[in-house]
Amino acid sequence: MEQTVRKSGAVKTNKGLISAVLFVVAYLVARIVLKQEGTGESMRVWAALLPVPAFAWMLWEIIKGVRVMDELQQRIQLEALAVAYPLALILLMTLGLLEIAITLPPEDLSYRHVWAALPLFYFIGLAIARKRYT
Amino acid sequence: MKNNIRELREAHDMSQEALAQKLEVSRQTVNAIENDKYDPMLPLAFKIARVFGKAIEEVFQPERKKSGR
Repeated sequence: MEQTVRKSGAVKTNKGLISAVLFVVAYLVARIVLKQEGTGESMRVWAALLPVPAFAWMLWEIIKGVRVMDELQQRIQLEALAVAYPLALILLMTLGLLEIAITLPPEDLSYRHVWAALPLFYFIGLAIARKRYT
Repeated sequence: MKNNIRELREAHDMSQEALAQKLEVSRQTVNAIENDKYDPMLPLAFKIARVFGKAIEEVFQPERKKSGR
């Protein structure tokens, strides 16, 4: 029974990892296609949407993973998100306000780049929550 | 809430990992409960008491708040 639980957990982790890798690959392919000059508009739209199915799969694996966690692990995830979500909100709100106030350099501070900060906020929240229960 | 899980576990010569496996939780969860950093929900609390063959109130005791008056 315990071995079965562990085995199924390992399978879920592998699937989660595969879906995450697939998402990153899809994102990189999209970036490469969108950088190329002369690509048709419909092709560019398809390329921009390419990471979405991989992300949906990754999201599903994350949800399944959270459902099999024990109660403390679920609480840690909740507290991590409780930190990450407001941080993401304040970042986007501040950038929005700054955009009104001044002209922000789009090469550094557009949504193209800012989204990558959101996982960082999650990991900050996760570290804080884990520390509390260790 | 206070608990005497560590004492019970050691009396049963059981590691945190072994208890975690019996309870189907992580070792970190057992450690957090033992160190009073996390109070388990009722189903897990009952499960812990059952592992040691005790009543739940023999494992978990409410912390008496000091009277401010």
